Amino acid sequence: MILKGGRSNLQTAGDYVCTVLSSRQVLPGVFSVEFESPEISSVALPGQFVQVEPSPGVFPVTRRPVTINRLTESGFELLFDVVGRGTQLMARFLPGDMVRVMGPLGKGWDVDQDKTWLLIGGGLGAAGFQFLVDSVRSSGVIIGASGADRVIPVQAQTVHIVTEDGSRGSRGLVTALISEELLARADSIAVCGPVAMMEAVWNTIPEAHRSKVQVSTESRMGCGWGVCDGCSIPVSGGGYRKCCVEGPVFPGDTIDWKRWKEAGL
Amino acid sequence: MEGGRIMSSPSLTRKFWGTEFVSPVMLASGTSGFGEELFKLGCLTGAGAVVSKAVTMKPRSGNPPPRLLETPFGLLNSIGLANPGARYVLENILPAVSNLPCPLVINVAGESVQEFADVVSVLKESGVHIGYEINVSCPNVAEGGAAFGVDPEVVFRVSEAVSQVADRPFSVKLTPNGGDMVQAAVAAQQGGASAVTVCNTFLGMMIDWKTGKSVIKRKVAGYTSPALLPLVVARVWQVSNAVSVPVISSGGVSCGQDVLQLLAAGAEMVQVGTRLMRRPCAAGELLDEMKKLTGEQ
Repeated sequence: MILKGGRSNLQTAGDYVCTVLSSRQVLPGVFSVEFESPEISSVALPGQFVQVEPSPGVFPVTRRPVTINRLTESGFELLFDVVGRGTQLMARFLPGDMVRVMGPLGKGWDVDQDKTWLLIGGGLGAAGFQFLVDSVRSSGVIIGASGADRVIPVQAQTVHIVTEDGSRGSRGLVTALISEELLARADSIAVCGPVAMMEAVWNTIPEAHRSKVQVSTESRMGCGWGVCDGCSIPVSGGGYRKCCVEGPVFPGDTIDWKRWKEAGL
Repeated sequence: MEGGRIMSSPSLTRKFWGTEFVSPVMLASGTSGFGEELFKLGCLTGAGAVVSKAVTMKPRSGNPPPRLLETPFGLLNSIGLANPGARYVLENILPAVSNLPCPLVINVAGESVQEFADVVSVLKESGVHIGYEINVSCPNVAEGGAAFGVDPEVVFRVSEAVSQVADRPFSVKLTPNGGDMVQAAVAAQQGGASAVTVCNTFLGMMIDWKTGKSVIKRKVAGYTSPALLPLVVARVWQVSNAVSVPVISSGGVSCGQDVLQLLAAGAEMVQVGTRLMRRPCAAGELLDEMKKLTGEQ
């Protein structure tokens, strides 16, 4: 399946009551939840996210934004790390549960069917890669993690794994696997992970290849649909862009890495 | 019964500021932009009105992130009045929202008494909005930095300055952070305000005990929560007993019953804000709940 697009379009988003089809722990503290939602999966593009209500009632007062990891037969799968109260509640979703899910939201990867992609993910940053791999031609996927128990599973022809403790793949950081050969073979480069990892990758990529780079960002979100201005990300040249509707995917040169790191997110 | 109203079957449609409203629910400033996004999402059904995000004279890019922190029972925000400035709003945003299915009220902020009047003078060239909401919770930079709203004398001057230039009704949105809100409401009315909004966010802060630092970059922030409902009910009740202009409540709403309670406390219109973060279509949901509770068709 080849998809074209990536624009944020609120007109194709909706707030749906979705049935949980499956829920399982794929790595320690990392959960996969599959929702039934032909409405969302029929219009979703790689790199877009959904806003999930972690519980019925009023608290917590915001939803949890999660990138769609892959499309399934009748819906989509989310992969997420338990980091706080909201994701703790989501980890308890059971098949048959009815959950409010709004989406698809945000501007995903700028996908062009004629291009070959290199994907570079750090930690949970790779938890949205499957959708992109399934939608484009990819020359390789580099996945970095602290250890084997944090390596997000991605099914692709060529997957390079690197862990900080050497418990799986080679020992080291993702930047060690970035070679001129891999960069030259790619027309587009997708990067997603913690801010420090993305900045290190950006700094490792030589100037000549930087125009190919797209980064998928993450921020604390209020609404997820462009009005509260809570998720704004510092951009080069001053000012901010909204992660939720102008992103989460941006061209690599858009981000002001120094100011973004200062946010400490 | 003093202040509160007995409302066996309150009417939900109403005329306010000379305009017909399908519901008493207004969408609070900062939680619905200028209404365009919610319109695209199909979520303005049942909304009485949209109150825009704050507009200042010059563009403001807003505060450095993180700007938001969810707390166990609410939300801290420190957005910093990010907006593209009055001239841009007049020329680019208002024309784009002229077809909203509900009325628009524009929230106005400033760093001096004069700035409020200047913003209104620019925006009155547009016929798109029905009125203004004057945000006196921002710091009075020109006179030392304390919020305008904590000093009734300053509230009077802001209200008077706006009323001299405004060609349509305006509400003064009061602050709960210092000062006497009842006195400030009376001062707003004396200055010419056509309503008062009770009230802006409550000052809040969360500290990471490991670093001793505030989690929000700008340290203190505005706190909103469904748990604030009794605080807002009390203030609406106090203020509505002291002024003759309509009171618009803001804060604490998470269900239709909350809206009805605020109406009973003396509010003419009821704003909902943070609830939209979870439920963008909250306006319609609240109206449906109220219709069920009151038996209105």
